[in-house]
Amino acid sequence: MKKISTLLILLMMLISISSLSLADEAGENNEEEQEDIDSETEKEIEIMNNSLGAEIRLLQLEKALLRNILKGEMAVQVLIGLEYNTADLESILSDMKILLEEVRTANASSNESVQIFISLKNESRNLTTQFRETIKELLDDETLREIRLRIREMVSEQVQNLNKYIRNRIRQFNFNQLYRLYGIVGEASSSFVNDYFNGTLSLNETKLQLCKIINQMTKEKRFQIFSEIKSENLRRQIHAHDYLEHMGDKGKQKGNGKGQH
Amino acid sequence: MNKKIISLFFLLVLMVSIAFTYIYFNQIETDERQYDSSGKTVSDEDIANEIDDMFIEEDDEIEIGEMV
Repeated sequence: MKKISTLLILLMMLISISSLSLADEAGENNEEEQEDIDSETEKEIEIMNNSLGAEIRLLQLEKALLRNILKGEMAVQVLIGLEYNTADLESILSDMKILLEEVRTANASSNESVQIFISLKNESRNLTTQFRETIKELLDDETLREIRLRIREMVSEQVQNLNKYIRNRIRQFNFNQLYRLYGIVGEASSSFVNDYFNGTLSLNETKLQLCKIINQMTKEKRFQIFSEIKSENLRRQIHAHDYLEHMGDKGKQKGNGKGQH
Repeated sequence: MNKKIISLFFLLVLMVSIAFTYIYFNQIETDERQYDSSGKTVSDEDIANEIDDMFIEEDDEIEIGEMV
């Protein structure tokens, strides 16, 4: 009897160890899935810890939304020509236009700019999907392909101007980062930084020049620079990750609250 | 009595091996995520990658999906 009970206890211990390992694996899988969904947005909000970074992300969202609205309008025009009922599509487009105004008036300096950006991006994505699904129900594959080809060639001065402006803001952001980097390296900023800002040197060439300077330094100095840059990057990544997790927890709490009512 | 001791011994060996396997696989994953700073040496590629992370490409865009 004693023998059996000892064996039973050992068996239970074995099962608990294996279940612990399985639970750990399942948890990791869930985490991986979540990471896949949020990794894109997480990467985007990393630079939003300062107002210039937040401004760039909001401008990029404005451009993506504006381009989709223009493409949607073009598709609707084609459908009207083919005598289709476009009421649903036009209604989605007018929602997108309201959203575009919200993106344009969003305050990049606000403490909640990250939260605002995530919510506006999600809404933009949802409306785009809604439009795509609605038009798919109306047309056959051949007509869809034709419309896709026509709107791909769309050229808009408004989008091009916005694109130029965004490039300038990104250049300003990178220029600031170059100054910070030179501060970490401990060298007086070279002419490369100004050349980059003036557009005479590309970002890749500027980075290459900087790497050359660092690579000529002693092993210890290189390690020190590497550690400082890495810790700064990690701090930014952790901050973005924490923010998303915090938002996810808030969402879950809201969801649970709704379920209880 | 001998049989009892042998069976207990085998079970113990089994448990220890499971525990070691579990620790080993977790260790591999942790090692992958860690940077070895014991030698205080970094490659040019490590530095270039960290520098890359500090900047935004000028043609960087936000994806919200296609309309058609």
